[in-house]
Amino acid sequence: MALRVLEFKYKADNPVTIAKEWSHLGVVGSGDLEVLMESKDLDGWLTVKVVTPVTGFDKVWDLVLGKFANESQLGNVAMEINDNNATPIVVSMRLRQALAEANKLQTEGE
Amino acid sequence: MDDKSMQREWNTLKMDTQERLKKAAPYAKGKIVSAKDTVALLEAVIKPGDKVNLEGNNQKQADFLAECLCNVDPKKIYDLHMVQSVLSLPSHLDVFEKGIAKKVDFSFSGPQAGRLAEFVKDGKVELGAIHTYLELFGRYFIDLTPRVALIVAFEADEQGNLYTGFNTEDTPVIVEATKFKQGIIIAQVNKVVEKLPRVDIPADWVDFIIPAPKPFYVEPLFTRDPALITDAQVLRAMMAIKGIYAEYGVTRLNHGVGFDTAAIELLLPTYGEELGLKGKICTHFSLNPHPTLIPAIESGWVESIHCFGGELGMEEYVKERSDIFFMGPDGTLRSNRCYSQTAGHYALDMFIGGTLQIDKFGNSSTATANRVAGFGGAPNMGCDAKGRRHSTGAWLKCGQEYGMNEQLIGDLPRGKRLVVQLQETFREKLVPGLVETLDAWKLAKNANLDIPPVMIYADDLTHIVTEEGIAYLHKCGTIEQRMAAIRAIAGYTELGLQADPKETRELRKLGIVKTPEDLGIDISRATRSLLAAKNVKELVEWSHGLYNPPARFRNW
Amino acid sequence: MRSWEDIQAGSFFEANARERAFGIVDKNTFTELLNPRDRQASPHLPVLGEAIGFDDGIVTGVGLIGKRPIFVVSQEGRFIGGAVGEVGGAKMVATLKLALQTYEEVKKQYPDSYQDRLPAVVISFETGGVRLHEANAGLLAHAEVMDLFQDARHKIPVISVIGSKVGAFGGMGFVAGAADVVIMSEQGRMGLTGPEVIEQEVGKDEFDASNKALVYRTTGGKHKYILNDCNFLVKDQVGAFRKQLTEVLEQPFEQIEQYRRIGSMELVQEQIELVDTAAKLEPKDAMDIWKYFGNEEPAKLPELSVEQFLKVAKRRPRKN
Repeated sequence: MALRVLEFKYKADNPVTIAKEWSHLGVVGSGDLEVLMESKDLDGWLTVKVVTPVTGFDKVWDLVLGKFANESQLGNVAMEINDNNATPIVVSMRLRQALAEANKLQTEGE
Repeated sequence: MDDKSMQREWNTLKMDTQERLKKAAPYAKGKIVSAKDTVALLEAVIKPGDKVNLEGNNQKQADFLAECLCNVDPKKIYDLHMVQSVLSLPSHLDVFEKGIAKKVDFSFSGPQAGRLAEFVKDGKVELGAIHTYLELFGRYFIDLTPRVALIVAFEADEQGNLYTGFNTEDTPVIVEATKFKQGIIIAQVNKVVEKLPRVDIPADWVDFIIPAPKPFYVEPLFTRDPALITDAQVLRAMMAIKGIYAEYGVTRLNHGVGFDTAAIELLLPTYGEELGLKGKICTHFSLNPHPTLIPAIESGWVESIHCFGGELGMEEYVKERSDIFFMGPDGTLRSNRCYSQTAGHYALDMFIGGTLQIDKFGNSSTATANRVAGFGGAPNMGCDAKGRRHSTGAWLKCGQEYGMNEQLIGDLPRGKRLVVQLQETFREKLVPGLVETLDAWKLAKNANLDIPPVMIYADDLTHIVTEEGIAYLHKCGTIEQRMAAIRAIAGYTELGLQADPKETRELRKLGIVKTPEDLGIDISRATRSLLAAKNVKELVEWSHGLYNPPARFRNW
Repeated sequence: MRSWEDIQAGSFFEANARERAFGIVDKNTFTELLNPRDRQASPHLPVLGEAIGFDDGIVTGVGLIGKRPIFVVSQEGRFIGGAVGEVGGAKMVATLKLALQTYEEVKKQYPDSYQDRLPAVVISFETGGVRLHEANAGLLAHAEVMDLFQDARHKIPVISVIGSKVGAFGGMGFVAGAADVVIMSEQGRMGLTGPEVIEQEVGKDEFDASNKALVYRTTGGKHKYILNDCNFLVKDQVGAFRKQLTEVLEQPFEQIEQYRRIGSMELVQEQIELVDTAAKLEPKDAMDIWKYFGNEEPAKLPELSVEQFLKVAKRRPRKN
């Protein structure tokens, strides 16, 4: 039972990208995940690659990611997730935190 | 006049007791019996078929007497009918394995739940019924009165007065039921002293005292290490505080044990303060001395707490906060499970706790297919006591919102107790918390129970809080609407995936379902950084060094 | 990520590896080398069906304290318990090598003023040692890191900081102890065989791993401070670790080298004497040793705040 790779893509009506060129959030602890977001010219698409040991939740991934894509209207963003059994709520929370991180204004001195 | 009545002997119980006490006399010096003579004492005072109470609950345990009962001769003592709060020590079931006891009526069996299920299946235990604490206590005075009670106290004096101190818990109700129906009371104590700090049980209600070889066991059941609270628990806590505590102005309440409620307690001085809720919520509790409540107490949120039992390590802290806790003239907490349960039943406006499974109707259960775990006190807290008549703001508001009031009692206004379940849509390893059918049905079949064991019935439940939203179930006018509201907050479980988005939107418009967004909660803020204390050490600091946590919780 | 100021004020124990790396050096000076975007995950875990991380559980990079380049390695306990595998191990090794190269370059570029520009290596440990899934590579990394510690002798200081949940155990317990300086918080733990393993192998009577107070007074920061296995004890705050680190780096290198526990015949002799003492003393509990070193009321020590503790604690005397 090797790790599984799931790929999804979503297109927003009015795609918005992220402020930073790239951004990272999270730790792949048990029941948790990390999110890498990169700004990319993807013809308006948001692409998501999920690497996970979990089977049987592909549809749920699609629903959770689709909801996030719809709410955020993200586009031209490539997202990669390394997951270790995160529950849907943890995924949703981390996605939102990752988005906030990716849109953070650069701190002074940087 | 009826001749039969004149001829009948009306005091057989008393005579039988005297006979038993006479047989026991050789082992006692005054009332004191040495540990090594305990088995002989039990053989002298217990008769086959007796109803015997063995004291112990989810906290303190008459563990030495439980061991001794296992060592009586099954040829002399057999067919006992055990009536006791919990089955939690191995010895509580060994006594059935050895053929000493036959039947049991109890309330809770946490640690022995799996073994109990096997025993029931194999016919080693005849199961009377599984009760709530108050229900079992009530039956002690009706049809389950113990003939002999084996109880536990901290200290005794030579006369037989008992000091149950910090962990009084179930002792008074057991002794009252047993002694005043001519029964026999045997107490194990940690030591015999010349003068007790205070008398909790008077000497003439106690027949024998046994200084046990080891102090009795106490489980620190209500200690939750803040270090283990997750961000998702913080989110549910934020939602509960804003969407329920603040919404209804809940001042009088009970918290079930668990990390979800621990998170709420630790959010009061931070998030609660930010919302300006101090003094408006959480002022009066029926609650054990939860260490995680220390920051809220120290920040001036709490006015009063009555306790079911003690909690290891909280002794000194409680002692120094006599405005808050109930305590004796000796300065030690007086806990009392029976009174606290009664208070919880009638004097509180809300119960909030967690569970294992909630079904599509809103019934919740902690039962799994192969564990007979029982109930404890949660159903006493988690119900709408029909005998309540006084009103408060929170109770009235919930009653005004009650969607089925008119169908049940017409146009009369009546309040309603808030009964709230905090539930993760998925637990660890992605096990769903909201399900089509409760595992309790399988257990009922496996263990041959009359009915599936349900902790809180749907008609008592008013609110469910998941990360997806709060369902204000009591507002629903029909069971179909309730089911839709539950589906709407069931997230990505099989049940939640059946939710119709159009219906969910309608329920949100009606205020029956509120998402974090509807409540104005930014879920990216939900992190551990909001906790007033992030570990046990910080709880000790909040307590000014008065909280003395058990070794297993000290990571320093 | 939280701001540098928030990280400084916050708990070291709660901080993740990246926050620790960012916060242990001067404000906004940290640059991560092989960052998540480089996607250097373990090639071995996917075939085993085990979750991977873009940094393989080890954050590496360089920052500044004053003018000094600080090469940072920070281990993440939440990822497979911080266990060191092939990629993470290689990142540790490469960071040390880079620090040594930088040393040569700084010396060349600033022949007269290199002293206050000398690089240093800081390792924030949070690990049980080798990652069993890729044990050979993990073990090799341990050996290479130890080798590089020797290469760094008399050139650049190597400093261990320990205050995270997992502690520094297994082979990495050796590595942590072999650094020039060890800085711990009381929540930090250091040892070889972890408590759970001892209990599993020898039994609960020998060591009850569920008794956290026992675990901490046998492996925790205060015990290590009394025994002089750790040089400095600080409170559980990233800023406190950084401040202590800065103070150490302000000292002359000769002074810093005096803090070592091993590395010469004399120091080995000192360790052997400690073993002798322990054998004669037959301690039943760490508190017996604390008492032996002059702490009259050992039971009180775990309860003291770090400030109070540092005022009263008596330590094992050092030979030099």
